[in-house]
Amino acid sequence: MSVTDFWTPFELNSFLNALFIGLSIASIWLIAAVGLTIIYGTMGVINMAHGELIMLGAYTTYVLQTFFYIPFLLCLPLVFIIVSIFGLFIERTIIRRLYNRPLDTLLATWGLSLILIQGVRVIFGTAPKYVSIPSWLNFQVSLGFLHLPGFRLFIILATAALIFATWYIAYRTTWGIRVRAVMADPDMASSFGIDSNRIYSITFAYGAGLAGVAGALFGGLKTLLPDMGSGYIVEAFLVVVVGGTQLLGSIFSSIILGELASIFSYFTNDTFARFVLFTLIVIFLRFRPQGLITEGMKRR
Amino acid sequence: MSANIYHNRKAQWLAYIGLFCLLALVPALFDSPFLLNQLARYAVFAMLAVSVSLVWGYGGILSLGQGIAFGLAAYGMGMTMQMQFQDPVSDPVPSFMLTNDLSTLPLLWEPFWSTPIGLALTIAVPTIFFIGFGAMMFQARVAGVFVAIMTLAMLAAWYAMAYDMQPFTSGFNGISPPMPFEFAGVSIDPYSPTAYLICVGFLAALTLSAKLLMQSKFGLIVQAIRDDPERVRFLGYNVAYYQVIVFAISGFIAACGGLCWVMVVQYVSPTSLELTLSVSAVIWAAVGGRLSLLGAILGAYLVNGLQSYMGDELQDVWMIVLGSIFIGVVLFLPRGLVGLIEDALGYFTGKSETETSGVAIERAV
Amino acid sequence: MTITRRSLIKRSSALALALSTPAIFRPSSARAQPWISKNGTIKLGVLFSQSGPLAVVENDSTQVVLFAIDEINANGGVAGMQVEPVVIDAKSDVKVYSEKISQLILSDRVISTIGGYTSASRRAVAPFVMARDHLFYYPTCYEGRECTQNVICTGPLANQHSQDLIPFMVQNFGKRVYFVGSNYIWPKESNKVARVWLEKVGGEVLGEDYVPIGGSEFAPIFNKIRQANPDFIFSTLIGDSDVAMHKQFLSEGFKADKMPIASLTTGEIEVRAMGAEAGAGHFLSAPYFQALDTPTNNRFVEKYLGSKYGGGGVTHYNMEETYLAVYFWKAGLEKALAQTGDIEAITPRMIRDASGGVTIGDEISPEGKVWIDPDNFNMWLRPKIGQCQGDGQFKIIKVADQHVGPNPFEIYPDRGVCKADGLHTPAGAIQKGVL
Repeated sequence: MSVTDFWTPFELNSFLNALFIGLSIASIWLIAAVGLTIIYGTMGVINMAHGELIMLGAYTTYVLQTFFYIPFLLCLPLVFIIVSIFGLFIERTIIRRLYNRPLDTLLATWGLSLILIQGVRVIFGTAPKYVSIPSWLNFQVSLGFLHLPGFRLFIILATAALIFATWYIAYRTTWGIRVRAVMADPDMASSFGIDSNRIYSITFAYGAGLAGVAGALFGGLKTLLPDMGSGYIVEAFLVVVVGGTQLLGSIFSSIILGELASIFSYFTNDTFARFVLFTLIVIFLRFRPQGLITEGMKRR
Repeated sequence: MSANIYHNRKAQWLAYIGLFCLLALVPALFDSPFLLNQLARYAVFAMLAVSVSLVWGYGGILSLGQGIAFGLAAYGMGMTMQMQFQDPVSDPVPSFMLTNDLSTLPLLWEPFWSTPIGLALTIAVPTIFFIGFGAMMFQARVAGVFVAIMTLAMLAAWYAMAYDMQPFTSGFNGISPPMPFEFAGVSIDPYSPTAYLICVGFLAALTLSAKLLMQSKFGLIVQAIRDDPERVRFLGYNVAYYQVIVFAISGFIAACGGLCWVMVVQYVSPTSLELTLSVSAVIWAAVGGRLSLLGAILGAYLVNGLQSYMGDELQDVWMIVLGSIFIGVVLFLPRGLVGLIEDALGYFTGKSETETSGVAIERAV
Repeated sequence: MTITRRSLIKRSSALALALSTPAIFRPSSARAQPWISKNGTIKLGVLFSQSGPLAVVENDSTQVVLFAIDEINANGGVAGMQVEPVVIDAKSDVKVYSEKISQLILSDRVISTIGGYTSASRRAVAPFVMARDHLFYYPTCYEGRECTQNVICTGPLANQHSQDLIPFMVQNFGKRVYFVGSNYIWPKESNKVARVWLEKVGGEVLGEDYVPIGGSEFAPIFNKIRQANPDFIFSTLIGDSDVAMHKQFLSEGFKADKMPIASLTTGEIEVRAMGAEAGAGHFLSAPYFQALDTPTNNRFVEKYLGSKYGGGGVTHYNMEETYLAVYFWKAGLEKALAQTGDIEAITPRMIRDASGGVTIGDEISPEGKVWIDPDNFNMWLRPKIGQCQGDGQFKIIKVADQHVGPNPFEIYPDRGVCKADGLHTPAGAIQKGVL
């Protein structure tokens, strides 16, 4: 194998386009990870079933579309609500009992993910399903040499909107202040009359809902299979940990990781790109285990 | 202290030795090559579970990367066995390489011409990697969840590597050495009692040595670090040193598992580096009881036995059952099934102490 | 026992040792026990995944095997005996494939096994099948380059697939091609072979990209494709990657009539998963299409989809190849029986040896007459090119004029020639069990 076979020759326009695509990849990683950021950042819960919540979101969209003929845009809020309710149920039955044992949440939610995958498989069968995206999203953005499909643009905008909403709730509402108070010091917060259990429940439900919306969006890019979520979990965790479990950190880390992934796969192939990326992350965490951005507050 | 016989060291050793004797007797009782091979596989899984129990149950380090050592060793063994099949003169290059644009044997493969060197590399490479990787993490005082995530990322990196370096590893298809492993002129049929006894022998030797080590001063310090690393540090111990050592030992045990694995299945592919296997090992240890090496072994045998024998009848619900068992164990039996045994024995032989924390040092078996 | 072993080792060559050691450990009663007993049924192992990611395809494989066995049993069975399938779920896990093949052979004592969809599963079972001199039917396309004495394959090899497809595409769309495939051996090998055909017609490869199995991010690859602007795309993606690529092809604004995808994998089942609008206009080379208009196929489609096994709603090439595997097994067994006369004396290896040259005619084979190559035990077939239509079915554009023979070492002439007894190397040696 010669060098030229392995390395794509450099060409400026398409390299710039690769950077542009990096943003698009970043938006996908970010929307997959944002729910996890909130759940992990607030509660310290390592939700290994996060990918399966994404999968549930996609299947919910499929059901709403196929059996209830609900238009795609309207599906998004409905999916958010349905998956949130499911998240609330999980929190009440499983997660709640494990608040002092963060590593055990990792194990219990892994068990949960097995149940969800097989449950969906039993209900919907092994044949893949698909979500159809509205035809008005079938356009392309072309700015000179930059190309972006309309649906990708839609995902970027949706991600931005969700991030903004989350930021607004966290930093501009009383509710958000309470959440951040619980994050900073649960004991102190409860002595001020904040019901931390309730905060946790709602936070988990909110994070689950975000995962559901992510799933609804991914449904337009790929096939729906019961185990589609497992592909996202590693990336999502890396975004969260590299970012430092803060919203802002996750934004930065997903942009950096998305860009790196796009650039590496521009020059080499996708598989090798993953190897380089994961190795870099391990080295990064060695020197900065607290992640990119820390708020200077202590959790737990 | 309680008089619970569960905490009696003599009784513990008796239980360990009893179990291994029982396992060693299997070939005399059952004349079924299939059963022997299946139980040999379980013994390999048990090694993996022991490695998890050691590093997580005793060391307090949740590693999701035990598959790295297992997988690297599996490849080492696969390469050794493949080279035993090749002939230096007439057929020096494995078939899959010739069809991957390699006409000469890559340097990476050269040492595996020699079976002893191949075996040494099979064990040494993963162990040394774990020393280096552990040193990198623990000297930076990475702990808890971050260790889990870093080992996970490292595992994903190795998986991508094994998968992508197709001329060297045969990629996704994997390497299937056409012949059983041969050592000192004796061919070890994977379905023979010999192969089974080698696996059980490895399991017994590794487990008993690990237990001995954990009862030593070294083991006590490791367990103290698990319970409170800061305090141990203030006592003047080099915490990172102990963590690296216990991490490396767990890697060594997992590597022995990888070696035996390829001996009994004659096949290695990137699936041994998949996240699923590493997490499954954690599940086995947790179900059986991570605070006890014996518990981890029981967990591995139990879960895999259930998977083999119940899966066929109830294919559709198997994963659901497994997931439920697992959630149940995490929620209600944090000390695993041996926790139940501990309580039961405590009930009959002395005062039970279940009210106190499950991770007290004297509890660890 | 030890003494026998040692002396045996000294006497035998390494390979003979590998084959004979198991016999030492096998209880003597088992050795005398026939594979098929006169008063029982004939057991056939069925080893596909019914759960996990591979179930998408392999579920249909299990169903069609059961359908074929029902058909055979209803017509009087094999040599007057009923066939009993031993169905095992391999759970999409190569560990399970390798564990269960030994269960089928040692505990269930099946006479042969049909199974597998990925090369990984075939390679996981191969060492044991070879060690016990058993017989494994692998019913789908694969890369070739193997020469074993215990596997019969009923799908096209890399050399059979693209022989017609590449010239056809070059003629109709242009000479500049972009290769996209899943990152493992079969796609890389298929591309290597496609390059050979391409060079013969003066074509040019503009780029070659591989995504991990299950990967669904195609934006970077479409970026490169846009830069290269090929006349058509040659795809060897499998499973959900294939589906994802077709969906993103559409949303990236490419058009099937300007830059079609010529695929070796995108059959009826994949098109159903991606939605017909994403598949329409693209090309597939396969030996079988559901839309093939022959009396045998029409009957097969109607009967299969109407049966309790036809819940999947379509038939596709992988399924049809699996169906053929069952009939090849039946034909091989019958021929072996005609040679020996005693059904209890038949061993799996006899069926394999008898299978060389066995033909399945138009009246049974939905894709038309096919036969097993007597040298390398893959299948002679007529590749067909179909174009996907708006309803998810294919329109057959071209049928090869004559049968194309399998050649597992077509582009590796210096490796030798695969014959029934092994790979005959140019140096004159015969290598057995080349994996």
